[in-house]
Amino acid sequence: MTTTATDRIVIDPVTRIEGHAKITIHLDDAGEVRDAQFHVTQFRGFERIVQGRPLHEMPSIMARICGICPVSHLVASAKACDEIISVEPPPAGADLRRVMNLAQIAQSNALSFFHLASPDLLFGFDAEAAGRNLFGVAAAAPRLARDGIAIRRFGQQVIEWLGGKRIHPSWIVPGGVDSPLEAETRDRILAAIPEAIAASERAIAWYTGELVRFEEEAASFGDFRSAYMGLVAPDGTVDHYDGLLRVVDADGAYLADRIDPRGYADLIGEAVEPWSFLKSTYWKDLGYPDGVYRVGPLARVVVAERMGTPRADAELGRFRERLGRVPSSSFHYHYARLIDMLYALERIEELLRDPGILSARVRSTGGINRNEGIGVSEAPRGTLMHHYRVDDDGIVEWANLVIATGHNNLAMNRSVAQVAKAYVRSATLSEAMLNRVEAVIRCYDPCLSCSTHALGEMPLRVQLLGPDHAMLDELVR
Amino acid sequence: MTGRPAVLVVCYGNPLRGDDAVGWRVAESIASDPRLAGAHVMTAHQLLPELAVEVAEADLAVLVDARMGEPPGSISVMHVAPCADRGPFGHVLTPAALGALALSVAGRTADLVVVSIGIERTEPGTALSHAVADAVPSVREVVADLVLAHA
Repeated sequence: MTTTATDRIVIDPVTRIEGHAKITIHLDDAGEVRDAQFHVTQFRGFERIVQGRPLHEMPSIMARICGICPVSHLVASAKACDEIISVEPPPAGADLRRVMNLAQIAQSNALSFFHLASPDLLFGFDAEAAGRNLFGVAAAAPRLARDGIAIRRFGQQVIEWLGGKRIHPSWIVPGGVDSPLEAETRDRILAAIPEAIAASERAIAWYTGELVRFEEEAASFGDFRSAYMGLVAPDGTVDHYDGLLRVVDADGAYLADRIDPRGYADLIGEAVEPWSFLKSTYWKDLGYPDGVYRVGPLARVVVAERMGTPRADAELGRFRERLGRVPSSSFHYHYARLIDMLYALERIEELLRDPGILSARVRSTGGINRNEGIGVSEAPRGTLMHHYRVDDDGIVEWANLVIATGHNNLAMNRSVAQVAKAYVRSATLSEAMLNRVEAVIRCYDPCLSCSTHALGEMPLRVQLLGPDHAMLDELVR
Repeated sequence: MTGRPAVLVVCYGNPLRGDDAVGWRVAESIASDPRLAGAHVMTAHQLLPELAVEVAEADLAVLVDARMGEPPGSISVMHVAPCADRGPFGHVLTPAALGALALSVAGRTADLVVVSIGIERTEPGTALSHAVADAVPSVREVVADLVLAHA
C-alpha cells in the first residue's frame, strides 16, 4: 500500500478473479466516497482479430477467448454460424451441445464457489489474507475442498470425454457436433453423476447454514434495485443453451418477456468509457448509465419461473422463501450459483437418459445462405451473444461480442461504490475494505479474459482519489 | 492398492508454444513403450487442483515439464516434498503445492518426482527445437527408469 498527500484510493491487483483490474474510489470535498470505478486494464480485441477469417473457423477461434469457459464461446459462435448457413442441428446434436455446455456450467460454478469464494465464506472477510485460499480451505474443511475439486473435475472430464480435451475442444461445430456420443461414454458420465450431485447438495447445505453470518455483507455487497436478464424456455424454465430473453425489474415485473434474443440490439445499448476496456451494456429504455441490469446465476434464478429439475426446484423454493422472489443483493450470486450447478448436473442426467442422445445424426450441413447470424446462450457468468456479418464467400467482415461480464459492468461498478461507502472511513485504505471490495467483485465471478479480453490472473489495485483527483492512498494485492 | 493406478505420469505444458510442448511429446513417446504400459499417463496445460485426486490415488507421480534457464535438452530429476503455497490462489499449482493439496483433501499423496527438460524457445508454434526434440527419447528412458525402480 502506498500513501500520497491528497485524495484517492487504488486497489491493484484484485485477486482470485479471472483477469486483471484496478479500482479507483473517488472522494468528495467532505471526504466521503462519491463514486468508484472498476477498470479493466488489458485489451485483446477478438472482434478485430476475426475479421477476414472464414466462417467455419469462428467457433475454434472464439473458444480461444477463454480457458475457463471456452465451451460457452463454442456454443454461441456455432449458433451464430448455424444461422448464417441456415441449418438447425439435429435433435441429438443440439442436446449434445447442451450436455457439454452444462458440464462447463458445473465446473465453472464449482471453480467460482469452491476455489475462489469459499475461502472468504469459510474464514470470514477479516481473516488473514495469506490463509484465505484453497489450501486454507483444504486444511480447515477438507470435505468442502474435496467436493469442489470433485465437481470441477467431473465437468472437465465430461468436456474431455465428449470433445477429446478439457480446454478448447473443437467438437461443437456449425450445424451440430463433430461426432455422435458412444454408449460407453454416456454410461461413464451417468455413473459419475450421483456423487457430483451429492457433493453439490453438501455444498448447498453448508452454505445455507453459514449464510446467517453474512447479513452485514449481504446488505452492502451490491444491494440495490436493478433489472435481471436471462434466457428462459417457452415454459418459463431456465434454459442455458437456447431459449428466449426475459428481463424483469426489481419488483419482478417483466420489462421484456420471451423475446427472440437475436433482437438484442433493439433492447441493449453498449457504452464505452475511456477508463476501461470493458464495455458497459445497459437497458436502452432506462438509458445510460441508469439502465443497470444483472446477468448470471442470480439472474437465471430470478427470471425463470422454475429451474425444471426436481432437486434444483426444491432448493429454488427454499431460496425464494428465504430471500424473496427478486433478491436485491449481489451477495446471493453464491447461493444462486450453487442451485445453477445442481441444476446443470441433474439436467445432464436427464439428457443422457434419453435414448435419442445416441443418435448418429448429430450435424447438419449447409453453405453460406445468410450474411448475418446471431448466437445467444447462457455462459456460466450470464447471457453471451455472438453476432457476425460475413460476405457471400463466408469471410467474416464484422463481429460483435456481448459478454456476461460486460452486462454486469454497471452493476459491478455500483457494487464497488457501495462497499467503498460502507467501509472507507478516512483518506486511507483498510484491509477490511480491500477484502470486501475484492469479494464483491467475486460475487459476479467476472471473467475479464472473455470481456476485454485479458490474459492471466487478475491482480487488484485500488486507488483512493480526492475531489481534485490526486491520489490519497493505494493498495496493491 | 487394488484398482489404484500405482504410477501417474503427468506431462504438461502448452503444446502450441514451441519447446513448452516437450511434455506432450514425451507423453506420445511413453504411450508406445511397453515398459510403461501400467502407468496412467496424462497430458495437461498446467497443474490444476483437480489433479490432486489422481495424485492422491497414485503411489508415484512423475511430472514432466519444460524448464527455461537450463541448457536446451538437458534433463534433471528432482524429488519434491509437498508444500502448500500460501500466496493468493490462482488456478495453477506448483508440484509441491499439488502434493500438499492432495495430502489435505485425501490424506495422502504420491511420491512426487519432477523430470525437467531444459528448453530454449517458447514462441507460438508446434515444432520443438532440435536439442529439445533430440532429448525426448532420453526423457522416456529416465521416466521408465523411475517407474521400473518404483515397481
